[in-house]
Amino acid sequence: MRANQQTHQTVQFRLLSEDQLEEIYRAALHLLEYTGLDVHNAEARALLSSAVAWVDGLRVRLPSSMVEKALASSPRSFTVFSREGKPGKDLHIGPGRFYYGPGPSCASFMDARTGAVRKYTRADAQAVATVCDALPSVDFVESLGTIGDIPYELADTYEFAEMIACTGKPIVAWSYAEAGCREIHQMAMAVAGGEEAFLRRPNYIFYCEPLSPLVSTGEAIDKVIYCARHRIPLIFTPCVIGGATGPATMAAIVAQAAAESWLGLVVSQLLRPGTPFCMGGVVLTMDMNQTVPAYGAPELSLLQAGLTELAHYVGLPLWTTGGCTDSKRVDEQAALEGALSVLFAGLSGGDLCHDVGYIESGTTGSLQQLVMMDEVISYIKRIIRGIEVTPETMAVEVVDRVGPGGSFLADDHTLSHFRDEFWFPKLIDRSRRERWEAAGKTRMAERAQARLIEILDSHKPAPLSTAAQQKIADVLAGADARFESEQS
Amino acid sequence: MATLDDLKQAIINGNREKAKELTKAALDEGMAAKSIVVDGIAAAMEVVGEKFRANEFFVPELLIAQRAMKEALGMMSGESVDYIGTVVIGTVRGDLHDIGKNLVAAMLEGAGFKVVDLGVDVSPEKFVETAKAQSANLIAMSALLTTTMGSMKDTVATLGSEGLKGKVKVIIGGAPVTQSYADEIKADGYAPDAASAVDLAKKLIAG
Repeated sequence: MRANQQTHQTVQFRLLSEDQLEEIYRAALHLLEYTGLDVHNAEARALLSSAVAWVDGLRVRLPSSMVEKALASSPRSFTVFSREGKPGKDLHIGPGRFYYGPGPSCASFMDARTGAVRKYTRADAQAVATVCDALPSVDFVESLGTIGDIPYELADTYEFAEMIACTGKPIVAWSYAEAGCREIHQMAMAVAGGEEAFLRRPNYIFYCEPLSPLVSTGEAIDKVIYCARHRIPLIFTPCVIGGATGPATMAAIVAQAAAESWLGLVVSQLLRPGTPFCMGGVVLTMDMNQTVPAYGAPELSLLQAGLTELAHYVGLPLWTTGGCTDSKRVDEQAALEGALSVLFAGLSGGDLCHDVGYIESGTTGSLQQLVMMDEVISYIKRIIRGIEVTPETMAVEVVDRVGPGGSFLADDHTLSHFRDEFWFPKLIDRSRRERWEAAGKTRMAERAQARLIEILDSHKPAPLSTAAQQKIADVLAGADARFESEQS
Repeated sequence: MATLDDLKQAIINGNREKAKELTKAALDEGMAAKSIVVDGIAAAMEVVGEKFRANEFFVPELLIAQRAMKEALGMMSGESVDYIGTVVIGTVRGDLHDIGKNLVAAMLEGAGFKVVDLGVDVSPEKFVETAKAQSANLIAMSALLTTTMGSMKDTVATLGSEGLKGKVKVIIGGAPVTQSYADEIKADGYAPDAASAVDLAKKLIAG
């Protein structure tokens, strides 16, 4: 026992000083107040204007008081519940907690069995949700593709329906426009047990995006409005590509992203103060040679950490990015790029880190990458956990007992601690050469592939209730009807 | 030819003011427009293209060189300038994403095309009307969203019903767009990035 002591500390990471954070915060407020954004949504402009914003055509400028008020009402912590009622699968978003998951709507998908890159299907949505459900270090679920074996206009609604049947972990949903948002919410409420049940224990998060630089489209704000009205936990997350849709200097990229995200914050808090809101998002640079957003670059890790610290500084959780790569294959490049951004997301405590499994600069979704990163997340968590200093871990009596020249291998202290103190690899291989050769001389990517197949062939997610399944089928029928009528 | 070499260098360096001055000086000296374009402007863009391919110049250097080139060409608008073709470009209806389209437009201009940029959220009718009005060789369309891609098909159909299919070629691009989608909607081509879009455009003009 100790008095006046800090006895346990995890790894401490700090990128920006308080003064730097304050400056970036002020720069974001400045952009909102003096430059403003184009908001392509009449309802939002009316709402903002009646609440002291300046509106001039599409251009909306927010005095800093509006932002500060919204920051005050927006919660720093909230919980999103697993549909299985299993506390271990709930997301307790708040200081110090950090979670990981894949990303949505890639243009292509890496076939889980063959590795071929192709169009994404309904069956893939089921597979991705199943794999997420099984992987111990994946906490939330996104699709890694855009369903292309049904009309694209229905991809959003169908994706949610397919995934929620295959996982008990919370889904982060998206939709093209309000109609899809509504349909997804109906399904989520049905699974929760009704509207009241959903409000008490929300079971998913909805994600939408502004358009950089400093634009919000009509559909995006329609969705923000819908989510705020129904108190659906909301992420409003920009994708600022430095040098292209944002400035070329890191501090400015962070400030612009914050400004864009906070438009969504202000709208949601005006409509329903206290709506759980997560700031975002993807902050990176444009590769000036290949003209792609550089998902594997060091700048991504740096910018994400900076944005995370800014979010926490102003009292918001952050939807961050990591586990992704510009590589076209799940290879050495994919491993190093993914691992570094996973590490920095964890060190900075980015609340929800998405895009784990994104390859090819976000254009292809890969379960092989996700499986490999699952191992990496577990690995870095052991580092971040830190070194526990207690009489038991200091173990001076043990060293004394074993004595000079002794062995600790069969010691009671070793036995009682090694399973907890040491990290145990599942995909990482440490066997001696002879054993490794006898086992097939495998590479990391091959072992990830094998583990993926194993999961797909054996994992059984918890089924939905018959009532929920029926409701979901009804919602899909409604979506089909909506699509038909839109075609004529 | 000192002035033309200086003009060439000014464009390579992205120096707009100097490019303008030197073009005016060359015109005032009585130099032929064709000569200025070929030995000054086009020659500069050749070098810029090589440096870009060699990873010495990146997209920003390319764009400022093109901006300087535009200033130089602008000084010659009284003279007859031979564009290699005319392209009508835009981001399709319902889609506001334009960074890729802007890059393609800039690079097409740099390659000597007359580029009519319709901006974002462009309807099929607007693409076709403008192509007619401008006697364009090409329509170039961009989309970032899977749901907006569909209006590319409508543009091809509208061209057909105006009897312009084959006379005006259609090229498409954007993150969800693929060669197989281009084949499906009977577009004349697809390019995965701005540089190959320019190569494709040049090929279609020639063929």
